Amino acid sequence: MKTKILVANRGEIAIRIIRAIQELKFEAVAIYETPDHESRHIRIANEAVWIGDGPRSDYLNIDRVIKAAKRVGATAIHPGYGFLAENPAFAKACEEADIIFIGPPSEVVEKLGNKVTARRIMAEAGIPMVPGTSNLPAGDAGLEEARAFARRYGYPLMLKATAGGGGRGIRRIENETELHEQYSIARAEALAAFNDDSVYIEKVVINPKHVEVQILADASGKTVHLGTRDCSIQRRNQKLVEIAPAFHLSPELAEEICQTAIKAGKAADYFNAGTVEFLLDSDNNYYFMEINTRLQVEHTVTEMITGIDIVRTQIKLALGKKLLFNQDDVKLRGHAIEMRINAEDPQNNFMPEGGKTLSIYQSPGGYGVRLDGFCYQGFTVPEVYDSLLVKLTVFGWSWNETVQRLKRCLDNFVIAGPKTTIPFYKNLVQEPDFQNGEFDTSYLDTHQQLFEYREQKSEVSKLARLIAEIHHKKQNIYAA
Amino acid sequence: MTRITTAMNPTQVLDTLRRADGYFITNTARDMSQSDYKNRILLHTDLLAAPSRDAAGYFSLEITGGASIHVDILRKQVDPFLKLKLLREQMPDTLFQTLCRGVNLFGYRPYPQNVIRLTVREFAKYVDVWRTFDFMNHVPNMQAVFEEVAKAGKINEPSICFSTGPEHTDQFYVDKVKEIMAVTGEEIILCIKNHGGLGTPKRIGDLVDAIKQAYPELIIHYHGHNTDGNDIGRITAAVLNGATIVDASDHAFNGFYGPPPILSVIQTLKDYGKTAIDINEEAVIETSETIHDQRPYYEQFEAQIKGFLPTVQIHKLPGGAMGSSLEQAAKGGFLNKMPDILHHELPRVQKELGNWWSVTPGSQILWTTAVSNVLDGERYGNPSGDLKNLLLGKYGPFPFYSPADWIYEKVFGPDWKDILEKEGGILEIEDMDIDQERRTLTERLGREPTEQQLVTFLQHPNDAVEFFKFEEKFGKSYVLPPSIFLRRGGFALGETLVFQDYTGKEHLIEIGPEQQDKKGETTIYLNVDHHQQIFVFEPEQQAGTNVKPSLSKEEIADLAKAGDIRAGFSGNVCEISVEAGQDVAVGDRVAILEAMKMQTPVVSEVAGKVAKISVKVGQALQPGDKILKIDVDGE
Repeated sequence: MKTKILVANRGEIAIRIIRAIQELKFEAVAIYETPDHESRHIRIANEAVWIGDGPRSDYLNIDRVIKAAKRVGATAIHPGYGFLAENPAFAKACEEADIIFIGPPSEVVEKLGNKVTARRIMAEAGIPMVPGTSNLPAGDAGLEEARAFARRYGYPLMLKATAGGGGRGIRRIENETELHEQYSIARAEALAAFNDDSVYIEKVVINPKHVEVQILADASGKTVHLGTRDCSIQRRNQKLVEIAPAFHLSPELAEEICQTAIKAGKAADYFNAGTVEFLLDSDNNYYFMEINTRLQVEHTVTEMITGIDIVRTQIKLALGKKLLFNQDDVKLRGHAIEMRINAEDPQNNFMPEGGKTLSIYQSPGGYGVRLDGFCYQGFTVPEVYDSLLVKLTVFGWSWNETVQRLKRCLDNFVIAGPKTTIPFYKNLVQEPDFQNGEFDTSYLDTHQQLFEYREQKSEVSKLARLIAEIHHKKQNIYAA
Repeated sequence: MTRITTAMNPTQVLDTLRRADGYFITNTARDMSQSDYKNRILLHTDLLAAPSRDAAGYFSLEITGGASIHVDILRKQVDPFLKLKLLREQMPDTLFQTLCRGVNLFGYRPYPQNVIRLTVREFAKYVDVWRTFDFMNHVPNMQAVFEEVAKAGKINEPSICFSTGPEHTDQFYVDKVKEIMAVTGEEIILCIKNHGGLGTPKRIGDLVDAIKQAYPELIIHYHGHNTDGNDIGRITAAVLNGATIVDASDHAFNGFYGPPPILSVIQTLKDYGKTAIDINEEAVIETSETIHDQRPYYEQFEAQIKGFLPTVQIHKLPGGAMGSSLEQAAKGGFLNKMPDILHHELPRVQKELGNWWSVTPGSQILWTTAVSNVLDGERYGNPSGDLKNLLLGKYGPFPFYSPADWIYEKVFGPDWKDILEKEGGILEIEDMDIDQERRTLTERLGREPTEQQLVTFLQHPNDAVEFFKFEEKFGKSYVLPPSIFLRRGGFALGETLVFQDYTGKEHLIEIGPEQQDKKGETTIYLNVDHHQQIFVFEPEQQAGTNVKPSLSKEEIADLAKAGDIRAGFSGNVCEISVEAGQDVAVGDRVAILEAMKMQTPVVSEVAGKVAKISVKVGQALQPGDKILKIDVDGE
């Protein structure tokens, strides 16, 4: 019987993983909730198991996922990103069920998932950190500790829920008055949201770049990095555009950051693929942020510049293989940019556009173009999941070539039905700062013109407007 | 013999015409478009026809003038100068001809002298032959045009407007020719302008002969219409009696009220031993083959009544006004009254007002008066401003006799003699401050206009500005074929539209889906040169607040009975006859609307007090738009 691997995810990442499984000549098993019954990941998997009506609750249901894996006789489970991917209980449940969890061991997931523990490990290993406190005690003692920290490092500060993540449970504190107001509220909210009222404080790094390093580690502890990524272009702390390698980084600094990432991985006894995230300030100081113990959405850009299939490697490592290459074998060449094409309206605060049907779906192709998606013409975007439709990743030897290729692809991308982030990206690729690689996490706030879609001034656009009017009004009212 | 081309100067052209053994043809494309398609034949179609029309060897192509310049900017959304420039590029050889209404230029009322001269100067850069007329055959009304044409080194073709009746003798017209030549000299072409297609072949033959007897060297151009189906008879008689040029048009688009088919003219006259000089019959045929498949897109503009109307000999409406008159009757809901209007009232009014020539703008005065007389039930009860001006002699002296005193009394009241004494006489219009107009246009456009844009603006100020704004928003849309520009009912999903923009770049637009959200906002997706573009349309205004979606005729009539007076058709307000607070009686005129050339009085159906006036003079209205409100007495 063939080795079966269950993919405990949906959408584009499920397809990405299924492809890797099938290329390894294994069988891929999909799971799905009812709202996903039209999803393409079900169609291309070798087998699919319905796990419930959801929405989301069944993808998050450890018991059901393990049962599905048992029923089909899966050897391993790939969790993708999101859902159960960074849930140590799930990794543990796999281990207990004698199913290989494709990712680090549960204890690594656990300790790196706890921000305070992770910070402690990294501090002990001498990894540079944003100055911060450990978990603050409850009541006035905690508040007093926070004030003492503020006196030393100054405002603004970040008040963070220890159990938070993905941009949630974070609030910015501008002054002492706010600190007084927010401290107890933040604890209460953390308790409600994460069932844990622990909070801590960090200094705010103003307008940093978000730089991260992809690492791979085998069971023997051999750890290599695949270079840097820049994920600074974000909205509401959610990444939109990712670039590999990070731009405007001196080779020395890039190497230092990558070596720090390896050191961080080793300090955590890391195994399998992970991402070490840093903040880089305008003086080129970098600070450890966290290690993501899973495959990242933006892994594609790294694959494009290294030629290494990260998901294939993840599976092989999980099945006990060693890393067959050394750090010296990893060559970074050219540039890659990924844009997340979401069913969202950028002009309406990126409101999701779920529930709408793709009446046209025409994607670009050609040299250096990679698409990771799951949509098709006629597909109705479920309202109950995230809004990512497809990731457009392009590769080019020079930055300019890559940007122009991206522009070409966006111009050729036709999605009708939901509003998407495409028109916004069309503005982005023509924006001079972006074209020069000048952006940090404040980029969207400081480039509001990106949200004003250029009134199409070309002659054909004007004529198209007339044709649209003739079509809409059923006659040319200017000729009637 | 060398072909007449743009390379010749006027003297060479006239010499060639004088020496001709045979006759020449003017392709009267403009008049065909105006008479049978409400002037809507697009530049796109004329450009398709251009190469074969240029090869056909016509004396000239009449492609501008008349009402076409107004329709160019108002409906066809094309710059009337650019149109000529582009056609000239495709037609290097053929002379371009215009039809100019003298002091009325290409509009409906007299223009100041300096505007006339500037306009002629600008158009003369493209137009080689200037056919000029005055509806009263009042020669001074044409003089400024004659002078400017001569100065520009172009050919003057003064017209004698032709009609029928006991006053319209050969001698009258021969004297008129003499009067014209006293102003222009002999280096002209004389046009017999038979805009109604009136008279028999014999009558036209006699007239041409009489003029030729008096002026053997004079080149005569016969212009007619085929309204009664008999213009080829008249053309034949004209040529046999010495006319050198005749008007006809391409058979692919021949209708009923324009000129007859070129090919039939050629075939008929051949049998009489008359040769169409320089004509390449194959090119004539090829033109029609080339544009034939475009005709169905223009069907929507054909006249409401189709078929020849030999009764034109009774009502005398000019071919160029048939389409718009019938359209007005259809829109105004009085198509059923047409026999009465056309066969009884119109000829009666015509005789009463002096039996002059029913052609723009006189034909509109006759028509509006006749319609008003029939619809209002009281003859001359609601005289238009134009009728008053006519009676006062503002447009020129009555050529044969003045209208009877009772008409003056009806129109002006018991003091009509004083009024005539004080206000009578030819309209003197002061020169316009053209620099001021240029500044006004600059302000409205937000940039300095070109001289040609200024001239277009001086003709029709509001419509010109609207056109310039249209072009800024929608580009140069003349590149679109009628299958796109005049499409009715929208396009099919997935339909691909291929065209070249004005730079010659080819484009492909694919029609994508149309979606409406809950708020009624419509999104249309077009795939433009393989790039998606999204067009969002606000929901149509809801009924109630502003009753925009067109009301039916019945609804408009019902509202009128309640004192809520709405526009019955689309047109401009040219007069508001009452003031707020004024008492009105049933049948009182409250406003006048003008659509194209037609003035139509709006009459109160109720007695009461004017409560609110919703419009201003000059404002463009759509059917159902509010005009004014009358508080009905006793309510």
